[in-house]
Amino acid sequence: VTSEVRQTQTQTVDPPRALTGATGVAAAPRRRTAAPVAAAVVLATAPARDGGGPAALLPWEDGTVLSRLLGQLSGLGVREAHVLTRPAWRGAVEAEAERAGGAVRVHAAGAVDGDLRRIAELSAQGGGALVVLYGDIVTHREALAGLLADPRIATGILAGGGATARPFAFRVRGRRGRLVSAASPYHAVFRPTASFLGVLKVGPGDRAALADAAERVAAVTRELPPAWRDELDRKARMWRYALYRAAHGEQYSDADGDADGPGPEADALGEDDGGEADALPASGALELSDEDEARLRERTAAAPDDAVAMLLVGMIRSGAHVSLSHLRALYWARTLSAGAVDSARHEITGYDEDRVLLDSAVKASDGFFTTFFVSPYSRYLARWAARRGFTPNQVTTVSVLIGVLAAAAFATGERWGLIAGAVLLQAAFTTDCVDGQLARYTRQFSKLGAWLDSVFDRTKEYAAFAGLAIGASRAGDPVWLLACSALALQSVRHMADFSYGAGQQQVIGATGQPPVEQSGDTWSVAADARRAARRAEIEAAAAAGRAPAELPETAAPAAPGDRVHGLLRGVLSAWHVVDRLGAVRWLKKMIAFPIGERFAAISLTAALFTPRVTFVVLLAWGGFASLYTLAGRVLRSVVR
Amino acid sequence: VSAAAATATGPHAATERPSTLAVYRDDGPLARALGRALPREIARRPSVLLALPGVLGLVAALAVGGADTPRGAAAAVLAWLVAWTGASSGASHRDRLAWAAPPLVRLGEYAGLVWIATLHGGAAEPAAFALLCALAFRHYDLVYRLRHQGATPAAWVDALSLGWEGRLVLAFVLLVVGALPAAYFAWAALLAVVFVGEAVVSWVRHSRGQRTVEYEDEEDEGQ
Repeated sequence: VTSEVRQTQTQTVDPPRALTGATGVAAAPRRRTAAPVAAAVVLATAPARDGGGPAALLPWEDGTVLSRLLGQLSGLGVREAHVLTRPAWRGAVEAEAERAGGAVRVHAAGAVDGDLRRIAELSAQGGGALVVLYGDIVTHREALAGLLADPRIATGILAGGGATARPFAFRVRGRRGRLVSAASPYHAVFRPTASFLGVLKVGPGDRAALADAAERVAAVTRELPPAWRDELDRKARMWRYALYRAAHGEQYSDADGDADGPGPEADALGEDDGGEADALPASGALELSDEDEARLRERTAAAPDDAVAMLLVGMIRSGAHVSLSHLRALYWARTLSAGAVDSARHEITGYDEDRVLLDSAVKASDGFFTTFFVSPYSRYLARWAARRGFTPNQVTTVSVLIGVLAAAAFATGERWGLIAGAVLLQAAFTTDCVDGQLARYTRQFSKLGAWLDSVFDRTKEYAAFAGLAIGASRAGDPVWLLACSALALQSVRHMADFSYGAGQQQVIGATGQPPVEQSGDTWSVAADARRAARRAEIEAAAAAGRAPAELPETAAPAAPGDRVHGLLRGVLSAWHVVDRLGAVRWLKKMIAFPIGERFAAISLTAALFTPRVTFVVLLAWGGFASLYTLAGRVLRSVVR
Repeated sequence: VSAAAATATGPHAATERPSTLAVYRDDGPLARALGRALPREIARRPSVLLALPGVLGLVAALAVGGADTPRGAAAAVLAWLVAWTGASSGASHRDRLAWAAPPLVRLGEYAGLVWIATLHGGAAEPAAFALLCALAFRHYDLVYRLRHQGATPAAWVDALSLGWEGRLVLAFVLLVVGALPAAYFAWAALLAVVFVGEAVVSWVRHSRGQRTVEYEDEEDEGQ
């Protein structure tokens, strides 16, 4: 909604060197380009702002935005493409498709329900994965590859941003790597966590679900239910308000992902205790410049054609498992005007794609020690390994061999052995970080690789325990009972992590989804009900002549159980609020005793003291971490 | 969470396959029989309510008697653990605290096996460590294989591994017949060979299956 320039992430631009560019090819590491997706459905239905055709046919270098995108798709192994457009633009799109070559078919329909029915047909026939996306997207090949070529994502979307919205992107809510709700022109999402960037990949097993969802949504769009109309009106008011705020300098920050405020799509309605639809200023009160008015018209005109967002809602509402592939710091935009194309071209050529990919290869969820003492240099080892052509599995194997050497050094029981073991264990841990980063950097994910990595991590740790215990026995201070306890504690802690994760997935899977006909999702409907109750209460209080502030939180007299529940909820939210302080967040991560901290603790205590001290530290820290995480999980399970 | 784990926990899989949490528990025939024998009204209760008393009993025995507990008392404590925690296999795995049962089962099993070794004396402790290593491999493999391959170990491996309660019973029998340090080592070696061997075989089979698919893909691409 804001200017096209603002939709890019502000990022210091290194000297231009695109991977796909002529200069980059020699240095670029091997990346797998197997054929992960069989067919693409590209929507060239959004009109360009300046009139005269679809935005997808806006010129880009020698061709158009559409031909650039089709080229990227075929480069990623997509064998056939179907372009959906309007009858008036059919000729122009066909000419462009012919120029693009390959197996491109053009279909024309008069309106969005026709698009949806066509998608249903295409989805019902043929096998393999299918990708549905807008033809006016400008992004990096690697951004598309992250979704299309990742075998771990069967059905998923390209997602961007954290707390803030992007123009022409609807918001989604993810939980544990899975989408639980999504917005469309006609659907609201409660407390969104990311933006849907208009690329939906549907795995072979979900193609029937996609066809069903498309048919269903098509039937509804033929005659819009009042709830859908209301939601679109609300969106238009929200976009106007966002433009107004942007013009008056109170813009929501799109620059860093840390902003807490809701973006324009983040639904004034979506915030539990925040405003609601009625709280948006009346449209008449918000005067926009002519430029912004044009932008708003462009946005509202494009909204009803937003078949991909509607499909995503349809898929989620039918209970499909949709994962997320993150754009990270790469560039993405939907270009709906010639000006937007210009700024997109300017922005995207300035990107150091390799740098961004290397930085994104580092796991965002790592602990303190890993993030600050290992990742800063392990990523360069990963790049070096990629250029030498090493595979992640080879690096994993090297890592476990170093780990076994470390255990053997510990087993000597001598001081030099303990010091050498400590150093080797750190080397093993670093190479262990490298294999994952290498896999993400070169996109060489394999199921076996993931299994090996996980199993070998445990092997290294417990082999170190065995080595230390043998060494201690040789030195005349047997600690086998401590070693057994440390192993048992760590395994039980891991089992609790796995089990809690599985339990959460079970809960998410069991959460019912409302039908697509309904605008609000499960959570926004509940929030609306809470607000309505609160409003009724205030009105009742006003009628009785009392100030609303004197009222208790809930309408019914609070039962003791409710009060305890409210107190626990308060403790939990306070617990999450302190996360905003960076230091506290890192401290909380350290308390949980993640792998980096464990390996560091083993190395330090073994090198400086004795194996007995190592095990006592592991048991004390691990025991405290168990109680800490257990308390948090029980609280969250009970309060929910 | 990978797609494989998702399919394993998905609504379609739930009816044919045991739930993920049930796999993590690693129950044997005895625990499952106890679970099936639960009256209906108790089976609806959260599994953690049954698993917890069993494990607390063991922890209390460790704190009070420790390595000096008489064998008869130890047998009673282990029976108490197997009865309660085993019966929890038949209780609800769908409640809010369902995730708490599998780690409790693991805690009971590992603590019990180490305790039995200490009842024999310090010489059995390295053997207990070896046994725990072999079992830890199985338990991590249960999780990771389900997550990355969408499969669980072969049925004969499950049968041979006896389940956690079967292992506790066997360990106590080995203690009573005086076979301890050696028998624990031999048992650990046998389990390690079986668990690791079967995991490797399953991955070889799995990647062979994958490779054919990839090969066909390449042929298609060439056309």
